[in-house]
Amino acid sequence: MKYQNVLLLLAVVALPFIVRPVIASEIWIFAIFGLGLNLLLGYTGLLSFGQSTFFGSAAYVAGWLLKHYGINVFFALGIGVGVGALSALLVGYLCVQRSGLYFIMLTFALNQLFYFVAYQWTTVTGGEDGMHGVPRPALLGIDFKDPMTYYVFISLLFLASLWVMRRIVESPLGRILQAIRENEVRAEAVGYNVPRFKLLAFVIGGAFSGLAGVLYGMLFGIVPLEAISFVFSGNVVFATLIGGSGSLYGPIIGSFVFIWLSESVSVMWARWPLLLGVAFVIVVLFLRGGVVEAWNRFWAWKASSKPAS
Amino acid sequence: MEGILQTRQLSKSFGALAAVKDVSLSIAAGSLHSVIGPNGAGKTTLFNLLTGTFPPTSGEIIFDKKNITGTPANRIAHLGLARSFQRTNVFPAFSLLDNVWVAAFATGRSWNGLLFKKANQYPEAAERARAALSDVGLLGKANQLAREISHGEQRQLELAIALAAAPRVLLLDEPAAGLSPEETRRMVALVRALKGRYTIVLIEHKMDIIMSVSDRISVMHFGSLIAEGAPEEIQRNAEVRRAYLGGIAA
Repeated sequence: MKYQNVLLLLAVVALPFIVRPVIASEIWIFAIFGLGLNLLLGYTGLLSFGQSTFFGSAAYVAGWLLKHYGINVFFALGIGVGVGALSALLVGYLCVQRSGLYFIMLTFALNQLFYFVAYQWTTVTGGEDGMHGVPRPALLGIDFKDPMTYYVFISLLFLASLWVMRRIVESPLGRILQAIRENEVRAEAVGYNVPRFKLLAFVIGGAFSGLAGVLYGMLFGIVPLEAISFVFSGNVVFATLIGGSGSLYGPIIGSFVFIWLSESVSVMWARWPLLLGVAFVIVVLFLRGGVVEAWNRFWAWKASSKPAS
Repeated sequence: MEGILQTRQLSKSFGALAAVKDVSLSIAAGSLHSVIGPNGAGKTTLFNLLTGTFPPTSGEIIFDKKNITGTPANRIAHLGLARSFQRTNVFPAFSLLDNVWVAAFATGRSWNGLLFKKANQYPEAAERARAALSDVGLLGKANQLAREISHGEQRQLELAIALAAAPRVLLLDEPAAGLSPEETRRMVALVRALKGRYTIVLIEHKMDIIMSVSDRISVMHFGSLIAEGAPEEIQRNAEVRRAYLGGIAA
C-alpha cells in the first residue's frame, strides 16, 4: 500500500478524536464535494463557480423526501447522486457551449438562478430559515443518532468516493479530460468531442456534489440556504486550490484545512477568514499546486540536501 | 483517376475576404501532393476546411467517395484523415507517450471501460502509440514531458500524434516550420520515409523540400489554385514564377 493511503487511513481513524466527530464528518463531506469539483478544475481545467447548485439541489430534494416520506438512507443517497448528476447535466449542457470567462460566469449565473428559486420557494426549502428537521434515520438497524456512528458511515462513503474517483482519473476518461485541459484544439483534432467530454465531467462532478449535499443535510439536520449559494461554491474552489488542484489528494487536504480553520479558529478569532485570505494569496503567488506541492517540494529539498554517503 | 480526397469548388470567405476560392483538388491515393503558395494564399485555411475546423462557405469535400462536407473536426480523425499543425500543438504536460496515446486511443477499436478500466490496459492503443513514436525516432524519449524537449523534437512529436491515429490520409502543415538546416534534413528524411505508406498532403514553404519529395504540386495564390502539375512542370510555369517563386527559381 502506498504511503498516501496509509496516511489517509490514519487520518480517518484519528480525526474524530482530534476534532469533534461532527466536524470530522463535515471535513470528509466537504472532501467528497471537493473531489467532484476537482475533476472539473484540476483535471479538465474548468473553473466551475457553481458547484453548490448540485450540492444544494440534492440536499433539498433528498432532505424533503427524508422529512416527509421517511425514505431509507441508501435511497436518499441514490436520490442525491441522481439529482446532483441531473442538475449538472442541465447546467453543464448550457455552460460547456462557452469557454473561459464566459463559462465561469455562466456557472455562477445559473447558481444564482437556483439560489433564488430556493430563496423564494419557502414552502419547500424554508427560504432564508433553511429546511429544518431533516432526519437521520437508522440504516439496517444501525442508529445514526450517535455522531460517532454517523462519522464511521461518512468516512466509509468518503473512502469509497475516493476509490471511485481514483478509478476515473486513471481511466482513459481521466486522461482525455487532462488532454482537454492541456490543449482543447488538439484534443478535438485527434477525435474527441470536447463539449461532450466536458459535460460528462460535469455530470460526474455533480454526482459527487449531490452525495455530499445529502450527507451534509443529514449531518446537521438542516439544509441552510447557503448550501445552494455562491458562498458554498466559492468555498469548495477555495479549499481545492489551497489543497492543490493538480492532484487527487489536493481537495481532501484543502477540505481539512478549510473546515478545520473555519470551525476551530473561528471560535477563538472572528476574523479567521483573514487567515484564509493570506493562505490563498500565498498559494496563488508561490504555490500553484497548493499544500500538495509544498509537501512534494519539501521532500525534494530534503532529498537534495542529504549529504552523499 | 479519381482521387481518395477531392474538393469541388471549395470556397471559404471571412466577411469580405475570400480566403479560399473555388478550389478543386484531387489527391491520388498513395501520392505525396504538395500545396504551395505565398503567405496568406489560403493553404492553412484549406487544411482547416478539410479537417472540419470550420465549414466551407460553398463547395464540397469528398473523401473515399463519401461527401464529408461539414463534418465536425472531432469526427474527421475517425474517418481516417489526420493532420499536423503549423504551430506546434501538443499536450505540454504529458509525456511523449501519453501525447500519442491520446490520439491512438481516440481512433482505437474500442472505448469499452472508458470510465473504469485503467488507461494502460489498452494494448492496441499502447502499441500504436509506441509505433508512432518509433516512426519519428522519439521512442527513446517516450517518458519525457513534451514541454521539455527541443523545438525540433516537438515538430517530430507533432507528426507522431497525427500518425498515431493510423490515418489513410495525412495532412502535414509545414512540418519543417522553424527548424534548423540539420533538423530540416531530418524532417525531410522522415517525410520521405512516410511516403508510400500514407497518402500525404503537404503544405511547405521550403522549395527544396517541395521539389525533392512531391509527386504533384498545387499552387495557391490569393485563395485560388493557379497551377497544378509535377515538380518540373511547376518549376517551368511562368505564372507560378511570377506569383511565388520570384527570384528563387529565376
